Amino acid sequence: MYRYDEFDAAIVRERVDQFRGQVSRRLDGTLLEDEFKPLRLQNGVYLQLHAYMLRVAIPYGQLDPAKLRRLADIAERYDRGYGHFTTRQNIQFNWVGLKDIPDVLQSLSEVEMHAIQTSGNCIRNVTSDHFAGAAQDEVMDPRPWCEIIRQWSTFHPEFAFLPRKFKIAVTAAEDDRAAIRVHDIGLHIRRRDGQIGFEVHVGGGQGRTPVIATKLNDFVPETELLDYLEAIMRVYNRFGRRDNKYKARIKILVTETGADEFRRLVDTEYAAQTDAEKIALPQAEIDRIHAYFAPPDLTRKPARSQILETAQAANPAFQRWIRVNLHPHKQAGYASITISLKPIGGLAGDATTAQMRVVAKLAEEYGHDDIRVTHAQNLVLPHVALDDLPALYADLDGAGLATANEGLVTDMIVCPGLDYCNLANARSIPIGQDIQQTFADPDYQEDIGRLHINISGCINACGHHHVGHIGILGVDRKGEEFYQISLGGRADHHAAIGDIAGRALSREEVPDAIKRIIDTYRDLRTSAAEPFIETLNRLGHTPFKEAIYAAD
Amino acid sequence: MTSVRPKLKPETPKAITAWDTASGQTVWLSADGQWTSDMTRLGVFTGRAAEDRLNEARAQEHLVTDPYFMEVTAAGTIAGRETLRETIRAQGPTVPYGEVPR
Repeated sequence: MYRYDEFDAAIVRERVDQFRGQVSRRLDGTLLEDEFKPLRLQNGVYLQLHAYMLRVAIPYGQLDPAKLRRLADIAERYDRGYGHFTTRQNIQFNWVGLKDIPDVLQSLSEVEMHAIQTSGNCIRNVTSDHFAGAAQDEVMDPRPWCEIIRQWSTFHPEFAFLPRKFKIAVTAAEDDRAAIRVHDIGLHIRRRDGQIGFEVHVGGGQGRTPVIATKLNDFVPETELLDYLEAIMRVYNRFGRRDNKYKARIKILVTETGADEFRRLVDTEYAAQTDAEKIALPQAEIDRIHAYFAPPDLTRKPARSQILETAQAANPAFQRWIRVNLHPHKQAGYASITISLKPIGGLAGDATTAQMRVVAKLAEEYGHDDIRVTHAQNLVLPHVALDDLPALYADLDGAGLATANEGLVTDMIVCPGLDYCNLANARSIPIGQDIQQTFADPDYQEDIGRLHINISGCINACGHHHVGHIGILGVDRKGEEFYQISLGGRADHHAAIGDIAGRALSREEVPDAIKRIIDTYRDLRTSAAEPFIETLNRLGHTPFKEAIYAAD
Repeated sequence: MTSVRPKLKPETPKAITAWDTASGQTVWLSADGQWTSDMTRLGVFTGRAAEDRLNEARAQEHLVTDPYFMEVTAAGTIAGRETLRETIRAQGPTVPYGEVPR
């Protein structure tokens, strides 16, 4: 894991001191809200429906026990005993008072954390594959490159006032678990003739204008990455629209300019960079950052674990959890484990202080001090010995953290919706809970198989409804909540935007409509091995749309 | 401004609500011009008087942030198309959260 050097520590400390002064001036009336708002947004502070919300950066979703314990301490002391993990691998505190936020940021800085790049029109926190460094299918560990991009982008003076926010995601695996094609820039690390480089996708995004990114370049060599990114950012900064907030994201620029012309602009900008302004990342610096992400010292173990197999045979619930929540590790005898934050009837992505402390302790005992946040709002212990899984499961179960639903129908991405958000039109959380209750039976869930339902409470799409296999969008109809269903979205390497199925449904209609979609799938699939999204793509949307409105 | 809310007719009964700047909590303007977190004490305003009160509220930015009109009945209960939003602002999320047993 990356560790702060003296410069990192100094800039974070200075930022805390600076913001403390700004908060003080806001509270004494010297700064008015319109003046203060851009300053607070540069420090992760939003004003939500009934409180301030502080979004804390978790770069590329990686935590260690000390950081997670500090987040628990903050939730306990300054909030209401819980935090909410987000789709960009960050955490949000929903009730923190403005007067306390400088102290919270001070506390975070003591464990090398901050809230920089979590809001405002800057390059945001870089996200990545939550199995980075552990996954069998990765070309390399993408985290060093996320960190290099973070260091380049943090306080980059040229990109502090972009037309709009800017999100970058990085993956190194063929199975895209970082949703790179719905990011402003998506980077896919490739290896070609022994050389590392980046396939660059640009102009993806969700919100009110969902767009799948355009592939801009097949292979940018690693030493040229930052200069190439800088060329893209300069083109966006110069030509991106500033006259209309809703047209300001790079996806609009790429769409309006056309992919070929946009590529030409980037190539021209790149070619115009002088040697003096090029970063031309030195290999020594690349190596230095990579050294922070050396794999943990994993003892060699046999590929099969007698301890694990005995425990599975004795406990069907444990066996299910292993079947559903385990992801293969690149080293034999180990696994990556998803800790679901989606218990039936719970709040997607929420973890209490007690749960955070349990996960921190288990990461120390069994997980080589490594914890990840997933973009699907779960946690991951990426390096666990198979022998340790029974003990790990027992402790997780005791903390309400052993739900076996990773990737299944109840593992939904759900935005905070109108229960928290000042922008929302409708509630998301209760709809998610209603659907979870409909599919609570774990056998039923497993039979359905992989199926992503994503729920957003407004068109801003924080709940990623556009890329859910089934998407649900809350809309306001003269003060009443309604929900629009879409079909066929996906966020992976076959990324697609879902199609709206038809008229919006009332809250009461939604769970049964979802059930009819899924029952139709179960009737029409070639076998249980054919996932929902493949059946949908094979047959088209018509039978599923008919199922939604079958009650009409 | 954080909140752009639906326009209300001058004669529609309305309250003035905002966020307490220091804590972020929801507050309402009482009839005697005090900011209160007790919704039962909110003042009901109409017409020019309501506009004057809102302008006064906007001049108190050190105390409150982003004051705006919310529709209420003449008796001061939440009304209109933003009833759900304002009820959640007043009462908090509609789902149990945090350490509340599920």
